[in-house]
Amino acid sequence: MKIETIHDNSIIATANKLRWEVGDYFHDSLIESIYKEAEVISNKVVTTEGKKSQFDFDKFIDQIVTNKWTGFPIMFLLLASVFWITIIGANYPSGLIASVLVDTIHPFLKNLASSINIPWYINGVLIDGGYLAMAWVVSVMLPPMAIFFPMFTLLEDFGYLPRVAFNMDNIYRRVGAHGKQALTMTMGFGCNAAGVIAARIIDSPRERLIAIITNNFSLCNGRWPTQILIATIFIGNLVPPIYGGIASAAAVVSVALLGIFFSLVVSWSLSKTVLKGEASAFSLELPPYRPPRILQTLYTSLIDRTLFVLWRAIVFAIPAGIVIWLVANVNIQGISLAEYFIRFVDPFALFIGLNGVIILAYVIAIPANEIVIPTVLMLTVLVTGVTGVGSGSGVMFELNNIDDVSMLLKAGGWTTLTGINLMLFSLLHNPCSTTIFTIYKETKSWKWTLLATLLPIMMGITICLLVAQLWRIFT
Amino acid sequence: MNDNLIVVILLLAISILAFIFYPEKGLLNKWRRIKANNEKILLEDALKHLFECEYNSTDCTLISISGFLSTSQGHSSKIIVKLEEMGLVKRIGTKIHLTPEGKSYALKIIRIHRLWEKHLADNTSIREEEWHILAELEEHKLTDDEVNRLAAKLGNPLKDPHGDPIPTENVEIPEQKGIELTDLKEGDIAKIYHIEDQPLEVFSKLTSLGLSPGMIIRLIEKNTTNIRIECEGEELNISPILSFNIQVVPIGDSEELIESRDTLSNIPVGEEAVIVGLSKSLRGQQRRRLLDFGIVPGTVIKARLKSLSGDPTAYEVRGTTVALRKNQSDKIFIKRKNLL
Repeated sequence: MKIETIHDNSIIATANKLRWEVGDYFHDSLIESIYKEAEVISNKVVTTEGKKSQFDFDKFIDQIVTNKWTGFPIMFLLLASVFWITIIGANYPSGLIASVLVDTIHPFLKNLASSINIPWYINGVLIDGGYLAMAWVVSVMLPPMAIFFPMFTLLEDFGYLPRVAFNMDNIYRRVGAHGKQALTMTMGFGCNAAGVIAARIIDSPRERLIAIITNNFSLCNGRWPTQILIATIFIGNLVPPIYGGIASAAAVVSVALLGIFFSLVVSWSLSKTVLKGEASAFSLELPPYRPPRILQTLYTSLIDRTLFVLWRAIVFAIPAGIVIWLVANVNIQGISLAEYFIRFVDPFALFIGLNGVIILAYVIAIPANEIVIPTVLMLTVLVTGVTGVGSGSGVMFELNNIDDVSMLLKAGGWTTLTGINLMLFSLLHNPCSTTIFTIYKETKSWKWTLLATLLPIMMGITICLLVAQLWRIFT
Repeated sequence: MNDNLIVVILLLAISILAFIFYPEKGLLNKWRRIKANNEKILLEDALKHLFECEYNSTDCTLISISGFLSTSQGHSSKIIVKLEEMGLVKRIGTKIHLTPEGKSYALKIIRIHRLWEKHLADNTSIREEEWHILAELEEHKLTDDEVNRLAAKLGNPLKDPHGDPIPTENVEIPEQKGIELTDLKEGDIAKIYHIEDQPLEVFSKLTSLGLSPGMIIRLIEKNTTNIRIECEGEELNISPILSFNIQVVPIGDSEELIESRDTLSNIPVGEEAVIVGLSKSLRGQQRRRLLDFGIVPGTVIKARLKSLSGDPTAYEVRGTTVALRKNQSDKIFIKRKNLL
């Protein structure tokens, strides 16, 4: 036994001595020889024929999409049409789902509940709270994602998206990020949770964290309706009616561009500060173009992306719906919890150019940005006591007529400043709980999750405060 | 009212006293520990300096030690006395030598320092200038166990990113083998290992030129009558007779001395080249990724496409297209096809 041990040690000692002779870079030589061997084998057994023309086709497309003059317009047109088809195409199915889930099933459930004498509070918590929040999230979230993700995946499958990363890399390199962040950012315009998951395509640890943390600066699908509504009411009104549409569209686009700007600035400062020491290695493969596999793409994008994200959203929406109903209906000395909270934060909220209703809406509508506006409307009715709109306290609703919304909000004390700041705050606030949870799942770190959550909200409060101060100075 | 006041003052006094004298967490204890730590750092740094001197065959004096530790000579002589009491150093006249225990202690510190530098180089993006500073702090902190785990994680590397050997777990380090200055080839870079002090005239001539052990030199040109070297930005001419007194250690592996300085970033789109090597500054994941793509010496690579903003560039290598940034292709050495 003892002899054996000595023997082992002498082997290790010999090995250690030999290592000094081999040198530190023997891994390189190892890989080099593996490649050499593989090449010898493949030369012997692999024959290629008629590959030339296929290759020239790739080269032709590559030259067009990376050309100085045609590259950007093509990219812009392709991505813009994806967004356009998503927004236009989602309208009808969204309305359909809403009419079934919200306008038909919701009253039916209410009637059913009252016919079998379920106490009003259980009925309220479950049907007006949990069910309605879920129905809302499904109807607003499902159609755009079901359209956006397959189209995006088709572009990816075709081989175009890596070229976008290739073209955009120069900008992202300057801010310490990876060109593929252009893709995760674009994905974020569909849904931030999906954008965070998409950051898996970046294999360098530092750049991946940057992409994850800054994804929230992409204005997601759930925030576009808020932006459009508020811009129409508060920005469109500032100019003569004929230009109203253009002005509000311009305002929404500027907010989205501001988001891209912030994502670059934040990427830069993250890579220079907290993420300075994280390992970083660039790699980007440009796969050959190939006809997209349409059925497979539809399946994977619907199941893996759409339903996956939707499921997480529903899981968070139901408890949030219950909380929303409760804060509006639990009264202490005749005043609801919501009103207590709104009165408490109002001084601070008004100081930064928002109001207590907005703050509360963002706190309780954390599962999905989609339900922020319904919650704001419901809370405004609750606080102002306006009658004739909505369907009872704690029940979220939307108004079909934009003038009614405008009147209701102005009755709630909203000014142009409130509108502008809400648009900014909608861009710069914590990610929805689905995204926060996804960030945690992807990074496995509370530290980065917390940073990704708190950084945008701090920025939002700071920017709103600045805008409010400037507004008060100049008006 | 007054009673209450007294109680409050008493409580306050007790909590302040507790804050200062509390065992382990109290201020006094913390202060003591910081002092002990500082003392430990100074002792370890002194050992390290002594080792460096012996490794480079120079003599350590009290002056050089206090210079290295940036303390007064009085303080450093106290440190030496302390080390002597611990049996780590021995004094012979004015010269200070390490005992075998002292040497292995010093090597342990150097092992941590160099491993940590290797770790920073391979696994983080911390800049080169900061490695040494951070390693100076870390070398006094890690326990034996942590060091061995770190070494295992790094694959028990032999050399730190500067090319210096890392002592092994059994605190062994290969002897430095010096060669004659005249044995160097033109363009070689080497560290002066030893300057022979006999005959004295030659020695004083060499020291008056400003040469001393530890300096990095580069051989520019050599012939039978003259040897021209570059040393700390200055060019010096040394006659061959003088040069026999200088022993040097070449720096960098021979595999690192790549003849071609033409880089991949220089070839225009459409041109082919053969890879001859990867720069040493491509490290860790960065290097592994490139090797995975098949970017290894001997591979044919072709520039295929420039991004619309000019950087990165796509290269065709072994049937796939890979985009590389300029700061990567700057570090890949090639030989052009037409020059082969």
